[in-house]
Amino acid sequence: MALRLVLPDIGEGVVEAEVVKWLVAPGDEVAEDQPLVEVMTDKATVTIPAPGRGRVVRLLVREGEVARVHQALLELEAEPGASPTPPPGGRARVPERAEGPKPEAAPPPAQAKSQTGAKPLAAPAVRALARRMGVDLATVTGSGPGGRILRQDLSAPGAPARAAGPAAPAGHAPSPPGPVEVVPLRGVRRKIAENVARSKRTAAHFTLVEQVDVTELTRVKERLAAAAREQGVKVTFLPFVVKAVVAALKRHPYLNSSLDEEKGEIHLKRWYDIGIASATDQGLLVPVIRRADQRSLADLASEIERLSTEARAGRARPEDQGGSTFTITSLGALGGLFATPVINHPEVAILGLHRIRPTPVAKDGAVVVRDVMHLSLSFDHRVVDGHVGAAFAYEVIATLEDPSLLFLEMV
Amino acid sequence: MATKSYDAVVIGAGPGGYVAAIRLALLGKKAGLIEKEGTLGGVCINWGCIPSKALIAAANLVEDIRGAADRGILAERPRVDLAKLRQFKNDVVKKMTGGIDLLEKGNGVEVLKGTAAFVGPGAVEVKGKDGTDRVEAPAFILATGARPIELPGFAFDGKDVWSAREAVDLPELPGHLVVIGGGVIGLELGTVYAKLGSRLTVVEALPSILTGVDAEAVRLVQKGLKERGAEVIVGAKAMEAGRKGKVLTVKVEVDGKERVLECDKVLVAVGFRPNTEGLGLDQVGVRLSPKGFVEVDERYQTSAPGIHAIGDLTGPPFLAHKASKEGEIAAEVIAGRKSARDWVAMPGAIFTEPEVGTVGMSEDEARKAGYEPLVGKFYFSALGRAVAIDHTDGFVKVVGDKASKQLLGVTIAGPEASDLIAEAALALEMGANLEDVALTVHAHPTLPEAFMEACKAALGEAIHRLNRPERPPRSPAPA
Repeated sequence: MALRLVLPDIGEGVVEAEVVKWLVAPGDEVAEDQPLVEVMTDKATVTIPAPGRGRVVRLLVREGEVARVHQALLELEAEPGASPTPPPGGRARVPERAEGPKPEAAPPPAQAKSQTGAKPLAAPAVRALARRMGVDLATVTGSGPGGRILRQDLSAPGAPARAAGPAAPAGHAPSPPGPVEVVPLRGVRRKIAENVARSKRTAAHFTLVEQVDVTELTRVKERLAAAAREQGVKVTFLPFVVKAVVAALKRHPYLNSSLDEEKGEIHLKRWYDIGIASATDQGLLVPVIRRADQRSLADLASEIERLSTEARAGRARPEDQGGSTFTITSLGALGGLFATPVINHPEVAILGLHRIRPTPVAKDGAVVVRDVMHLSLSFDHRVVDGHVGAAFAYEVIATLEDPSLLFLEMV
Repeated sequence: MATKSYDAVVIGAGPGGYVAAIRLALLGKKAGLIEKEGTLGGVCINWGCIPSKALIAAANLVEDIRGAADRGILAERPRVDLAKLRQFKNDVVKKMTGGIDLLEKGNGVEVLKGTAAFVGPGAVEVKGKDGTDRVEAPAFILATGARPIELPGFAFDGKDVWSAREAVDLPELPGHLVVIGGGVIGLELGTVYAKLGSRLTVVEALPSILTGVDAEAVRLVQKGLKERGAEVIVGAKAMEAGRKGKVLTVKVEVDGKERVLECDKVLVAVGFRPNTEGLGLDQVGVRLSPKGFVEVDERYQTSAPGIHAIGDLTGPPFLAHKASKEGEIAAEVIAGRKSARDWVAMPGAIFTEPEVGTVGMSEDEARKAGYEPLVGKFYFSALGRAVAIDHTDGFVKVVGDKASKQLLGVTIAGPEASDLIAEAALALEMGANLEDVALTVHAHPTLPEAFMEACKAALGEAIHRLNRPERPPRSPAPA
């Protein structure tokens, strides 16, 4: 009996997911609960297990394609006796429909299979041109009526927009001078690409750089770290920065907002969910500290530790991703002198932290060596004017230079 | 033994092979074309599509003349000079095969007459009248086609038991012709004989004739046969042909009961088997499917490097135009072009009474593919041109996707359906939706207006019929 495995309802609000990686191939025998495919929603990567024992007949969605919830992902030839009924709780095992084998004596009169919902719409000449150019039509967005792919929608892989014109007599794109390793844009990488491009396309980025004397903060941090270590909490600079940022956001609400361009509305958020950009093997993830304004320093420290550990181990939870109101990115040792961070859409500001280094500074008429860090604050000029962004930045700086001010923010 | 070498060699000069050879030549390849029969063109041109269409057109003319009394034309009893008609048919074939000769020659294709067999990778031996040649090439296209399946108990003898090849030669007009096999070929040729005056009985093993074709179209074809006095026996197993005195008998089993049909000739048309034998395919490692057809990929490459296969040899549907298209693709692949099978839909044309044309998905197939089908129908009885030419049986039925309004498939039963289906095929290849066709102005008064009206009907906007929802199909697919 043939079963179809459909993309299950993975979680609230999830309507589609990208097929990141197939873990099986047609012909494979699979056991019940064996992982079949990794899919990624806007929130997390999820593995979908086999609903029962059987043999994979064919994969219906290609890696990199986006499937909608309840869309069939693969066809499975179930073993006789294997139960096709979905278990309670609606996990991944939702057979869409069971079909008996077709009678062999009845070949369909015309080619029907080749045209499924997934097949891109394009005229024969455009399909032939795409083949000559080596372009997979499934990756092209059609600009014609009903999404039809037109000649001008084709561009050679790696080439900027415009393709070879109607002429393209020999039909071969110029070959590169050396070997090229082609890596499909998938999963987290694709999400990052989409997000940063959308941010750069929509936001009017303005970056302000200033230095912070954190000599005092270093001392406070070390004292607190020693105390916290006994409670099993590892304290870094980041909880202090989060505290300082939340305090400044409360006074500068426009930096904790988003812009709804369509409606012409700025949404000032009265909650403070701070995203912490974290490098992982998969790419950049932004786990979120929920309700950062309601947490103590120690609480922030342990939450940051949890989030970064899970993200690095590839165990990021869906509920920890997305929905932040402001983002902090620790650029660290490789951060350079300053940077121009890309705003985490749909937020309007992002704060980059650079490494702390001993630096000669003029203090009270003398040159002294202090612990100095650069901050790079990018904000969306559509919402935040230069002086507003600067006022926010200097308030964060003031708090970091004199951490005793944090007492004023004690909950 | 002389040795000849080419860039590419095509074995078999049917509609797949002769087209492949021309395409190879057009792409600058030195091409050889091997054919074992006396003339080029294969079954299609010599004993299939072309001669049968000559006969079908003639038989239609006879019927039109017979039925012209309604229009005040009194020539009720036309006589048919079979010898003359056969001659006309032969002339048609000669013109077409001669045309292929000229095309191959004009394009620089070398034609080799004889039977080819692989003797090793990259080499075949061609046994001809004047001896054996060795022919070498880095690339081969196998296009040897298929031949009629012989039923146990019905050995083709060319006298009593015909294959399509004998039937299409119109040796005589049998008083009673029994056709075993209610598929396209059996029905097309059976209809010719029925129209020319034979009594016709069709024996089909499955529960319906024309399996796989839209049920309403099949009902019309059945009605057409009945009106011509033909009997259709479905679910019947043909046991054997025999003799009872001077009479030819056909024993069939229906519902476990035996029935003996007395007749003058039997035509057996129950399918095709591939011509793979004698080619030495095992010499070069060409893999066959469990049913014996040559396995190919979307570039028509077989499991043996450098050897391609196209057409009937690779399995159903057995269509000349499909073989031609595949021949072009295989030739392009050999010439280094990036070519591959990518058609959206393969049209089919059935020359029964009425004709049936199909392309793309049926309603059921669309539903199985995950679409919510939107169906529109228009009957020729409401179309001015069809009424004026007095051929009103039939309809155009379009299937679209309810959400996107994309056209998914078209079935046409009725006058000139085989011609009308071309527009639908183009629409499908272009990714047209129902509105694209509905909004295209169609000249009046013409038969293609029915296609436009059917698309409008699917959208609930038909002008020349009342817009009511289509009845649900008789056997809805399991949900």
